[in-house]
Amino acid sequence: MSVVVNSRDDFTLENYRRVAMDGEPVAIGPEARRTMAEGRAAFLRMLESDRTQYIYGVTSSFGPRAKLTIPPDQQRAHGRAFGFRGNWGRGFGGGYLDERVVRGIVFARLANFVAGNSKARPVVAERLAALLDGPLPRVPLDGEVGAGEVLPMAHVLQGFRRDDLEEGEANPLMNGSPVSAALAADTAMAACHRLDHAEQIFALSVEGFGAPLDSYDDVLDDIWGDEDEASALAALRRYLEGASPDGRTSAAVPASYRVLGRVLGQAHRAVTGVEEAARVSLRSVTDNPVYVAPGEGHPLGRAFSTGGFHNAMAYPALNALAAAWADLTLLAQRHVTALCTTAAGAAATGLEPALGGLVEEARAAAMPTLLPAAVNDAQDDVSSPTFGAYRRQARAAECLDGALAVLAAEASQALLLAGRQPARPLQDLLAGVRAHFPPVDGSPRDLGTHVGDLAAALARSAATGSAPFGTSP
Amino acid sequence: MTIVVNTREDFTLANFRRVSYGGEPVRVGAQARRAMTAGAAQGPAAGPPGREPARRAWPTAPGAGFGGGYLDPAVVRGIVFARLASLVSGHAGVRPSVAGRVAALLDGPMPRVPLDGQDGPGEVFPMACVLAGLRRDDLHEPEDEALLGGAPCSAALAADAAISARNRLAHAEGICALSIEAFGAPLGAYDEALDDLWGDPHETAALRGLRRYLRGAGTAERRFHQAPVSYRIIPRVLGQAHRALAAAEKAAVVSLRSVTSDVVCAGDEVGPPSGRLVRSGGYLNGMAYPALNALSAAWADLALVAERQVTALNTAETSGLPVNLVPAGGTGNGTYAYGWAANGYVEEARAAATPALLPGVMEDPLADVLSPTFGAYRRERRAAECLDGVLAILAIVSSQALSATGRNPPQPLWPVLSFVRSVFPPIDGAAERDLSADGGRLQQALGAAARSGELAALDAGHGSAAVLWADG
Repeated sequence: MSVVVNSRDDFTLENYRRVAMDGEPVAIGPEARRTMAEGRAAFLRMLESDRTQYIYGVTSSFGPRAKLTIPPDQQRAHGRAFGFRGNWGRGFGGGYLDERVVRGIVFARLANFVAGNSKARPVVAERLAALLDGPLPRVPLDGEVGAGEVLPMAHVLQGFRRDDLEEGEANPLMNGSPVSAALAADTAMAACHRLDHAEQIFALSVEGFGAPLDSYDDVLDDIWGDEDEASALAALRRYLEGASPDGRTSAAVPASYRVLGRVLGQAHRAVTGVEEAARVSLRSVTDNPVYVAPGEGHPLGRAFSTGGFHNAMAYPALNALAAAWADLTLLAQRHVTALCTTAAGAAATGLEPALGGLVEEARAAAMPTLLPAAVNDAQDDVSSPTFGAYRRQARAAECLDGALAVLAAEASQALLLAGRQPARPLQDLLAGVRAHFPPVDGSPRDLGTHVGDLAAALARSAATGSAPFGTSP
Repeated sequence: MTIVVNTREDFTLANFRRVSYGGEPVRVGAQARRAMTAGAAQGPAAGPPGREPARRAWPTAPGAGFGGGYLDPAVVRGIVFARLASLVSGHAGVRPSVAGRVAALLDGPMPRVPLDGQDGPGEVFPMACVLAGLRRDDLHEPEDEALLGGAPCSAALAADAAISARNRLAHAEGICALSIEAFGAPLGAYDEALDDLWGDPHETAALRGLRRYLRGAGTAERRFHQAPVSYRIIPRVLGQAHRALAAAEKAAVVSLRSVTSDVVCAGDEVGPPSGRLVRSGGYLNGMAYPALNALSAAWADLALVAERQVTALNTAETSGLPVNLVPAGGTGNGTYAYGWAANGYVEEARAAATPALLPGVMEDPLADVLSPTFGAYRRERRAAECLDGVLAILAIVSSQALSATGRNPPQPLWPVLSFVRSVFPPIDGAAERDLSADGGRLQQALGAAARSGELAALDAGHGSAAVLWADG
């Protein structure tokens, strides 16, 4: 099926998923075509009314030469010249964005067009949407930090036909912040699944340790009074429903079991933050200059320069998520230690030492991406850091997947040794864990490879939304 | 006036401010006393069966931490106030007389609470310092636990940071607007059409804040072409700060009224508890330190953008303003070196934006996760101090640019400019001045105003801004 876009409200996370993840094409709907045609006509009327007015990139040059005005008789040629300026892509190295993300960028780019703010003809948007019908170019991960997102967009639009572009149609393609929108959306998709994995596996650990259940009691929902912590507690209770009171430890338990609801609550808050950043960013009009349709006091409409190309909500949200993953990674390590030293004793899996490195890597990845210190030129004096934040979040997530894999294996081992079954909602999960990583029985095995498979399975299901290890939650 | 607390609903940010900064006393109300009496009768006398808490050894005052300076006494008052939230509902099983005794601590001087060495399991170490003066020879066993446990420090630190942050963000908006005027940046980048086109409530708040200061700004003397990126993206960067502020305020509001005692008795707040005892991890506040981390990062980013605006104003080729912003016929280096000075504050702010995560160390197999809120609070303080430094410089340079070119900003900016010039008059080169000391005074004035709200009050027309107006 095609995703039909008629207005900015069609740029939802659900439609993003259909286009980016499921590979569906996009069609520009009749309402959007009409709005764009009207916007284009209105813009041209405004331009023709006074070709000495300042409109960045239309009556002026670009970038550091923004103050250079283009004489009226040269403005049409200036507009057409975009097609002959060659490709601006300069970044290289560091691997490449997954093609699903590049699809997501193209989708996010279209939000700029459909409400007529782009100044462009409908045919430009249709051509852009048609990029999704074929393979998309590779976008290097290194070297993409500049003012706005012109550098990565140059790669994304490598195959875009532009020899017939007209005045004002270059900037809505290249300028703005669709890359941040797509990186936030891609992260948000996986983050909610990853958080669910964490909740399931920590619940399995609670069962493996035989920790008392009162630390997840529903009375805490009210007396802590935080919606995100209440969500975390509810999820733990859901997975622990029907858990047997027998065989639980009667001694005091480590703090890492008792604070679980609070630390998972932090992760819920971070996931909500990145989802919000994605939702808002996907439907934002962010290119520069922006055209605003005729209205009161402005019968011809207005075109003016803005800072929309700088997305300031995606990278803090990605930073917060990376920090939440780092804290959960540490918590998983503490659970594994507790299971090994307190519960299962000498019969543990032997995987515990692998966690030290994962915890430290996750903590390093949680160092926040701030506004870059480097300056391109006096005009382009602040750059966008979203690419860096996206990569760090991905690294922290990878470390968490590894730690969760080890914790799942260790909890499985503890349950086997104790001769206990976990609560019913966790039994499919346990079966999945054991299918990938059978309990350790002393016979020779490449434990590292097997737990690596477990981590890879977690990462795959976070990306696709399938249940961890192919089980039904 | 005395604040009477009866339920958790009384633990608001406004009441926190009155107790902490206003020095108002607190009394435990009748409704709270009834709930506490019921809770103490059936409360967590010994913890859940089989898991009775070991009687917590009250650390010898002033607790285990030392060094790094001390918490402001106002914040210590806030911790005492926040402590009461866990008691008034009766969940903690503490007698009304004990809660009354805690409240009475606010009638005297506060003990000193060191900033170093407080990252323990929960907040036992700092609480031992806070409650050092509390008579405890007749405490029941669970009362020890309830007074030392939980997370009242995180609540108070978040509240203190949130209150200053709101004023600090208002300063940033005012000074950035002053900079926009000084530079003559086009106003389109703050147009109300962007509220909908960007569609984010925090960016809308920032855009509105800027437009409020720029109302009535002239269009005649502005540059015709688009301004450097640092001027155009400032609403989005301020929007990020609004988002961080909202998170810090939410963390404070939620934390102040939370019951975080290690062992709680589940039941109606005012009726007899059901007797179900719950031992939880309430003592680890999972929302305050991420919120403080986010504020630090927002301050660091604002500091960097402010520095870029300082550079733009100080660079004649970019701004079109007089070289070094020296008035016609004047001599000296004007504001040139302030641009360099700003670099140090920016780098320090960026260092302070390193997030506080769950500490890597563990005390013992049971205390295997520690609370990082003190570290996050200190970093936020440092990042805020550095932002105040860069904002002071941006204000100085903006004020100088307006003075050197004989311009006045629109009227809504007069209180901001008056405040700046009352501390730092424009450099006229006529007499030798200690520009370092003058700049430091403005930084300190901004820091003090963040706590007191002085500039915000002037801004709202509650002060005699015209008296401070130097060049009007």
